[in-house]
Amino acid sequence: MPTARLGRRSGPTLWRANSLILKRALQWAIPLFVIGVLFYWPMARVLGQGLVGDWLATLAEPRVAAAIWFTLWQSLVSTVLCLLVALPAAYVLYRKRTPGAHVFKAMLTIPFALPTMVTAIGFTAYQNQGIWKSEFASQSWLNSPTSWIIMAHIFVNFAVITRTVGSTWMSHSHDTEEAAALAGAGRLRIFWSISLPQLRPAIVSSVFTVFLYCSASYGLVLVLGGGQVNSIETEIAAAANQFLDLQEAGALAILQTILTIGAFAIGNSGSRSIIGFDVQDAGKPKHGIDRRDWPVAALTLISVILTFVPLVLILRRAFVDSAGNATFENFVALTTHGTRNLLDISIGQAALNSLRNVLVATVVAGFVGTLAAYLLTRPTRSKVQRYASRILDTVFMLPLGVSSIVLGFGYLLTFGDGWLPLRSSWVVVPLIQSLLAMPLVIRIVQPALHAIGAEIGEQASTDGANALVTFFRIELPLAKQSVAAAFGYAAIVSIGEFGAANLLSYGDQATLPTVLYQLISRPGGQNYGMAMAMAAIVIALTFAVVFVSSFPNLNRKLRRPRLSARR
Amino acid sequence: MHNTKPILMRAFTALAIVATTAAALTGCSAPTTKAVAVASHDSFIIPDNLINQFKAETGFYLAGGAKLGDAGTLTNKLVLTKKVPVADVVFGIDNTFAGVATANGIIDGELVPIDYADVCFNYDKQWFATKGITPPSSWRQLTEPQYKGLTVLENPATSSTGLAFLFSTIAALGEDGWPGWWANLKANGVKVAAGWEDAYYIDFSGSSGHGAYPIVLSYSSSPADEIGDDGLSRTASINSECFRQIEYAGVLKNAKNPEGARAFIKFMQSKDFQSALPEANYVYPIVKGIKLPEAWARFAKPADSFVDVSKLDFDANRKAWQKKWADIMAG
Repeated sequence: MPTARLGRRSGPTLWRANSLILKRALQWAIPLFVIGVLFYWPMARVLGQGLVGDWLATLAEPRVAAAIWFTLWQSLVSTVLCLLVALPAAYVLYRKRTPGAHVFKAMLTIPFALPTMVTAIGFTAYQNQGIWKSEFASQSWLNSPTSWIIMAHIFVNFAVITRTVGSTWMSHSHDTEEAAALAGAGRLRIFWSISLPQLRPAIVSSVFTVFLYCSASYGLVLVLGGGQVNSIETEIAAAANQFLDLQEAGALAILQTILTIGAFAIGNSGSRSIIGFDVQDAGKPKHGIDRRDWPVAALTLISVILTFVPLVLILRRAFVDSAGNATFENFVALTTHGTRNLLDISIGQAALNSLRNVLVATVVAGFVGTLAAYLLTRPTRSKVQRYASRILDTVFMLPLGVSSIVLGFGYLLTFGDGWLPLRSSWVVVPLIQSLLAMPLVIRIVQPALHAIGAEIGEQASTDGANALVTFFRIELPLAKQSVAAAFGYAAIVSIGEFGAANLLSYGDQATLPTVLYQLISRPGGQNYGMAMAMAAIVIALTFAVVFVSSFPNLNRKLRRPRLSARR
Repeated sequence: MHNTKPILMRAFTALAIVATTAAALTGCSAPTTKAVAVASHDSFIIPDNLINQFKAETGFYLAGGAKLGDAGTLTNKLVLTKKVPVADVVFGIDNTFAGVATANGIIDGELVPIDYADVCFNYDKQWFATKGITPPSSWRQLTEPQYKGLTVLENPATSSTGLAFLFSTIAALGEDGWPGWWANLKANGVKVAAGWEDAYYIDFSGSSGHGAYPIVLSYSSSPADEIGDDGLSRTASINSECFRQIEYAGVLKNAKNPEGARAFIKFMQSKDFQSALPEANYVYPIVKGIKLPEAWARFAKPADSFVDVSKLDFDANRKAWQKKWADIMAG
């Protein structure tokens, strides 16, 4: 209907349509400027840097080729193993009525929400267990850096697959399965021929997302690889910092981006909803766990327990000294700069830097992301507009497929001087973090605004309300929970982000993850204990946050209106 | 429901104000400053009394220092950030990387030598005594079967100590000889650590870390830090064919406080600072006539002989050699 009206070229209507387009274009200017300057410009510089010289020959060097190969196969193995352990958990925790499922689900999100560096520290504690130092184990493939990296990747990504697949599984009807069971089909057969095909989109989508995370993993490879194994990510940082070879760093960054954007595109094609974002229980009746479920239930229990080993080890090590005696010294030492004054600032100051970065990154990502989501959900009135909307959607999603090291490298190239010398300012780190978080914000807010629908807004505007009032008075309150969740996600991204911070924060601008990395990479004296103590504090805080936000009942009792608005 | 709307809006406004203020704050800095920021490698220590003395003598004070990794990473990071440097003065660029600093024009004026140290292998005396194996007397023996699986050394891409030794092997064995020797060393079970701290404190059996490797690439001065209750050092240095590493300081180009930077370099050359270098940083003072601690005369003698590296062009080949080394060790 509106299209036809446009076509008729009647004076005032055309004017109104044109002015609307103009208004839209102006509104788009803010988010487009932000993402253009802060994402596409540095990425263009990376591209330019990588393509000078013989970049294919660079990638064929044995050391570089080894890193590329390692990245590919390690990501593949991590992803497949992760899927194998996550599927039973998705079944037991989401498909079945399992006692305590709620608690288990919450517990499994902790590794996902933890800063990477804390996970890395947990796995070094695992590595340093006595049993791995025995003659037999120290020679075993299980104790190789690669195995530890893969285990850490499973640990981190377990919840992504469990939640995505579980949420879909939960909503499927039981009818077909019951009919098949009546006809005599076994559980495995039912799973293979009925559940699996139905779950395929969710599996594909989550599996490629996990592959993306594993191939873009930097901190875990850096710490657990101990310099013995390198991925594309660690080689990019090494090319810049150790070899001063910007061309090689650029070439690797291009390859890494092709790889991650490829994985992202496939992962994104199956599902538009945000990966790992738990949907509310639909309230459908579920079957209880029966005897034939025991093997998978046992597997799930083992996974959950194994998940907790590194966390428990951190907590234990935090309260003992290097000789194994109980002590609070490690916590007391947090006020110092470490053994031999390793740190430029104390951990407390680093925590303050991190908090400041979280605030800025969350605000920027939250505002610009919400604005972009708002604009993306405005009704499209023509083919051109629909087309433009789809392109804009991709334009804003693309940062999800770019690693923080690649983007950080782009910032190093782009903002060193010139009209925007951001590199020398502390804002550079939170800005990168906000860019990494922005697509997540859009992905969470967009569906919520979409669900509210444009009709309400149109109704309000015919009643005389302008768009701003409509948004703040109607749409935002209705989408409140999603917007709050989006801000929460942005905060998690910012607080845990390590790659860009490690590349771009110097001296007194260190963040919690970069300080933890300094301590764990110079583990002499009390540094190791300090890293454990700080990691223990972060784990305790994460537990608290995850539990409070996972139990709606408890939550409702605790929160006041003021809290709910900014949760 | 009605109640939450204004609160939400207020929250947004508050956050917006915070963001704007935060952004505005970054733009301004004090016009003249007495603060001097030192960029250094991770192992650099200035004793507190000297920090205070510097302030009392010059009126400048140290603040905003940045430890940027090993000497190589330090130099490279300063090159990558040279337009707006992260500090005023740098300490710890060594003779393996000085060429990078000058070629990239990051130093205002000259690099000033501050101290030196000799890169040599150390061994755990007790370990060799217990096993009844003769310790090596030259690094050339480390490829021999009786030393299989005993050596830990630093990665020349991530540690300037490791790079110094790589240069030594290239100078001693020749352009054609070194790759084969390193391949043999790899086959003989050498462990490569990322940095000196890892190698020395975690993997070496003779240090407080009680690691599994009785031979480590370290310094001729390291045994002075391993003196036991009997007054003897638990470790010894293999002092032949070592590499003399010289550490420099320099004013960074585009520094905010070049005057303070120069004052600090002058202070580093003073008698008090130079005298404190051995105990704080395990290096020898560059200024002649500074008295060394007593234990140093017995356990931390400088090396007896050095590999002649004067014919090597570090700057033209550093990257190629590092990469070739990495290829040998990866393969």
